[in-house]
Amino acid sequence: MGRRKSSAASGFAALCVLCVVSLALFTVYVKEGDCSAQGECGPLHTVQLGAAEVLQPARGVVGALFSPIRETADRVGNAFDNSEEERLRAELRDTESLAAQTSRLQQENERLRGLLEGQRAVYEYGPLARVVAPVGDQFSERIIINVGTEDGIEDDQPVVVGENTLVGRTTNVSRHTAQVMLITDRMFAAGVRIVPPAEFDPASGEVSPAVTAENVPFGQGMLKTSLEGYFGVDYVDLSARAEEGDYVVTSGRAAGRDLLEPPGLYVGTVESATSQDIEQFKKIVVDPAMNPDDLEDVRVIVGWAGKGA
Amino acid sequence: MVEQPSVVRASIIVAAAALLEAVLGPYLTFGYVSPKFALIGIVFAVSPLRDLQAVLLGFFGGILLDSLSSGLFGVGALAGLAAGALSGRVSAVRRKGTERVLLSQVVAVCVAAFGLLGWTARNLAGYGGPPLAEYAVAGILPDALLNAVLAYLVGGWLLRIVSVKSRVWESA
Repeated sequence: MGRRKSSAASGFAALCVLCVVSLALFTVYVKEGDCSAQGECGPLHTVQLGAAEVLQPARGVVGALFSPIRETADRVGNAFDNSEEERLRAELRDTESLAAQTSRLQQENERLRGLLEGQRAVYEYGPLARVVAPVGDQFSERIIINVGTEDGIEDDQPVVVGENTLVGRTTNVSRHTAQVMLITDRMFAAGVRIVPPAEFDPASGEVSPAVTAENVPFGQGMLKTSLEGYFGVDYVDLSARAEEGDYVVTSGRAAGRDLLEPPGLYVGTVESATSQDIEQFKKIVVDPAMNPDDLEDVRVIVGWAGKGA
Repeated sequence: MVEQPSVVRASIIVAAAALLEAVLGPYLTFGYVSPKFALIGIVFAVSPLRDLQAVLLGFFGGILLDSLSSGLFGVGALAGLAAGALSGRVSAVRRKGTERVLLSQVVAVCVAAFGLLGWTARNLAGYGGPPLAEYAVAGILPDALLNAVLAYLVGGWLLRIVSVKSRVWESA
């Protein structure tokens, strides 16, 4: 009886002390900031980075095991979902009509290419990185890739799939691994432009000079996942042009300041653009070009022409 | 022969559960809902232990979860602590045969507390989060229910693992 009481009293005392310790840990973690702030990580971030390195093989194995399960689930889902098939058929019709235009425009394009050359950002890529596993909790959308500081990767560098489709941004980079905060993460934000299909080629990333000119006639804003949960562009002026089907590309600069992404990275297409007189900005919902479940190999852009200029 | 709780086994269960959540959790996350293996492990593993042991092991499990995951450090520790303390207290009032049901309810409460703590911590840290009402209905509630069901399914097995049989003179 006495032993039980003593255990309960010491348990309560320990509970109080450890509560304070937990709160102190939380405060230290938030105060030490992320690893990019001062070039080196605080102790608690270092612990998490070390654990990520140690767990990398296990996460790789689990990722490989889950991959066929996910593919099967996707196939089953697609088999019952006709909307995807209808969307693809509509896309095929559009593509066929575009193909007819393409041949006519090809010659004109070649003539203009020389003029546009100066507008295209030249990216310097890091080594090809394999996606190891998703990480994070219910509030975040992140993945781990198998390149780190030893491969020249630093925090806050843009990550792309293919040549120029933006996937996210590096964060918590350790020696051999890096986390990628995906564009659909609630913490992610980037300056973007909304470009009509005729002014941007998603395959090459070439943006028309009209879009990159100082007095931009097209919509500009901040790409982020809103508090309501939709992925879209905020702060787009009501008078700016933004229509369904337009492309969303990174702007690279905002009010004379360098942003973390170079200009011309393809983000996705405008799914809907609505505006009400009572609101100050347009509500623009974006359909992202990348699908987190399909990511296998990505590249980190470690530098680009005009960075910091 | 009497059944005695083993601290070593309980520690291993807690560590394995935290590891499992860190590795498997991201694959099993559907919206705001995901299995909280670490909390389930803590609640069932520490329930037969004494209060002090339960609190310490809960804190250890939470810290381990914080280290292995990429979440905000301290949130898991607080949730683990709450799970350890609640589970330890509940074990003092439970009746034989109702452990699983009672501890599943504790898991539900702890998961809800973890969700609320996480939401509060994100807002305090300036990371923002979904509106509380939306998160409570679409996140906390189904998450707590799912994990309570999961806890009920695996709880009996966990309780058996944590106990070792010893002779009466050994336990005296």
